[in-house]
Amino acid sequence: MYKNLFYRETLEPTNAFDSYYTIKDLYDYVIGDNTKTKDYHHLKHKLNNFYDGYNNNVQYITETGLPNTKSEQFNHANLHKLYNKEILWSSEPNAKHYLADLEPFEQVAFKKNTLLFNDGMVYPSNDLGIKKPFQLQILDQIKVNRNKQDEYVKLIRKTENFSNFTYAFSPFLNTVIVPSGANENFMKNPISIQYLNKNSKGILECNTNIIDIQYKTKVHLKENVKLQSGQMNNIIYIVRENSELVIDRITNDYGGFGIFDSKFICHPNSKITINFKNTGSDYYQENFYFDLTTNVDLTLNGKNNIYKGHEYHQFVHVDSRSSDNKSIIDIKNVGNENASTSFIGRFDVSPNSVGFDGHMKNENLMLTPNTKMHSRPILDIHTKEIECTHGCTISNIDKSKLYYLQSRGLAKDIAEDVLVSSFLC
Amino acid sequence: MLKLKDFSVEHILDNVSTTFDIGKTYVVMGSNGVGKSTLLHGIMGRPDLNVSGEMTFMGSDLSELETDERARLGMFVGFQAPTSVPGLSNFQFMKQALNISGKDIAETLRSFKEVSAKLNLPDNWDKRNLNTDASGGEKKKNELIQMSMLNTKLAMLDEPDSGLDVDGIKALIEQLNEWRNDNNTLIVVTHYQKLVEGLNPDKVLVLKKDGVLTGDIELADKIFSQGFESV
Repeated sequence: MYKNLFYRETLEPTNAFDSYYTIKDLYDYVIGDNTKTKDYHHLKHKLNNFYDGYNNNVQYITETGLPNTKSEQFNHANLHKLYNKEILWSSEPNAKHYLADLEPFEQVAFKKNTLLFNDGMVYPSNDLGIKKPFQLQILDQIKVNRNKQDEYVKLIRKTENFSNFTYAFSPFLNTVIVPSGANENFMKNPISIQYLNKNSKGILECNTNIIDIQYKTKVHLKENVKLQSGQMNNIIYIVRENSELVIDRITNDYGGFGIFDSKFICHPNSKITINFKNTGSDYYQENFYFDLTTNVDLTLNGKNNIYKGHEYHQFVHVDSRSSDNKSIIDIKNVGNENASTSFIGRFDVSPNSVGFDGHMKNENLMLTPNTKMHSRPILDIHTKEIECTHGCTISNIDKSKLYYLQSRGLAKDIAEDVLVSSFLC
Repeated sequence: MLKLKDFSVEHILDNVSTTFDIGKTYVVMGSNGVGKSTLLHGIMGRPDLNVSGEMTFMGSDLSELETDERARLGMFVGFQAPTSVPGLSNFQFMKQALNISGKDIAETLRSFKEVSAKLNLPDNWDKRNLNTDASGGEKKKNELIQMSMLNTKLAMLDEPDSGLDVDGIKALIEQLNEWRNDNNTLIVVTHYQKLVEGLNPDKVLVLKKDGVLTGDIELADKIFSQGFESV
């Protein structure tokens, strides 16, 4: 948002002052509830001077839908805290500071197989930028490409979460296509994907991307999310027939907050494996939505060590629409002092999903009495011939294990660390 | 080495006073529920036991020390049912317990494999998870590896024979006899005659509800032939 307000010539002249808006202000503005919007006219003036792509997004979203605060998905997720996050709407960027911030972006060029996403822009490393057969196709700023737009914008559907909000505030919809001809090249040579903030605290940056894995292709993505400021990501992964996608995602906090919505459109005979780790942040949501067609093999493994005072909320939705889908959800959360976590997992199994094999497990380890942890499995099953299990637990450190380790000379704090590591292993 | 005076554990043991000398081996016997395991874990400082009285180990007052501090003094307790920790390998655990790094790791691994081979444990024992998916006998052998590799001066073993097969008992006796020397002390809780005979202890202690009876191996023989009522 920062970049797009001031980076382009078409934007508002830098003649005024810094303003703070809460996410709630932006939300109210986008849904058109002007009576609630703080300093509505000022905000409208700023946003109307934004470029056309942004206004198109807002218009599209106001027509299709926005987050609903009554949505049960996030009834543990402390939305109040998110809504009151303050976003700096700076009118005059510091040029020196801005250039310094560019440095990590420039370095991407010299890395291998790397894509960097920041505030709706995609920065590929030089090797990916070279056009040659079976390389990635990167359609950036897809809003200006009408032909592709029609195909992909249809995938931005009305939801009851923050994905649409993210889209409304993304300057562009970017698409990365992995062509069939790549075969297993990107499995052997994983693609590194970096989600970085360019700016420090107080700025909200949004990405709406589509990653399209085409037929009979195998891809390994190593995603690295660094939260330095506000970051909302809405990523749609299309895994087409007979393709395989492996994602290793690590999210680290550097004083920011954010939401990462991942949607997977899983075509027949596709295989998806996701391993993720998270430390939480001042406020963080990491949500996964899976649309399974038929004979899809899905594995989701999460190992999250939520640091002291951090929040981490998660919604996992598996929507099985046809037969013979397999889904394993296994998520472990550790809550340190004053951490707050929630997990809501949902299997929707349609009447056509004969042969569905689903297993959902969420294990939580509370390290102190001040930790808050919620776990809620939901199984909505509309057919008989399936196998479906769930197990959700919340426990403390096992005192007998702690004593055992201490009896071998490990100090109590080290023994606790060892038990946390072994829990997450 | 270890002195107990009026050592009590709430609701279980009352006023036990005894001394365990350096270079000696002791067998502790007693009927079920009399407090044999509690005695060992009370000495080791298990947090849920409410202990009173005096305990000194090599001149150090144990009453204010945490379990890990007692362990670092050289005290070791072998569990009757060792705790399993999935996700932590046997050797990782030893590395943590010994607090080693760098070149010492390779040397320690070599020693680990040597002891585990002597106890007929599988080749990949170092990589197996701590007491997870292991038989009762294998867990007991694992306790022996830990006892041997840590700087143990006082070993207190709670029924180390349970779950061991005939060859396992033989290996256990060999391992303990090899470990014993003039600078350490062994206390073994057992109901198993072969083990008592194999160790040939210096003293036999019989815990009773009204106190502690002390004798030599003949006291154990009498119990094995006539039961606890006879003493």
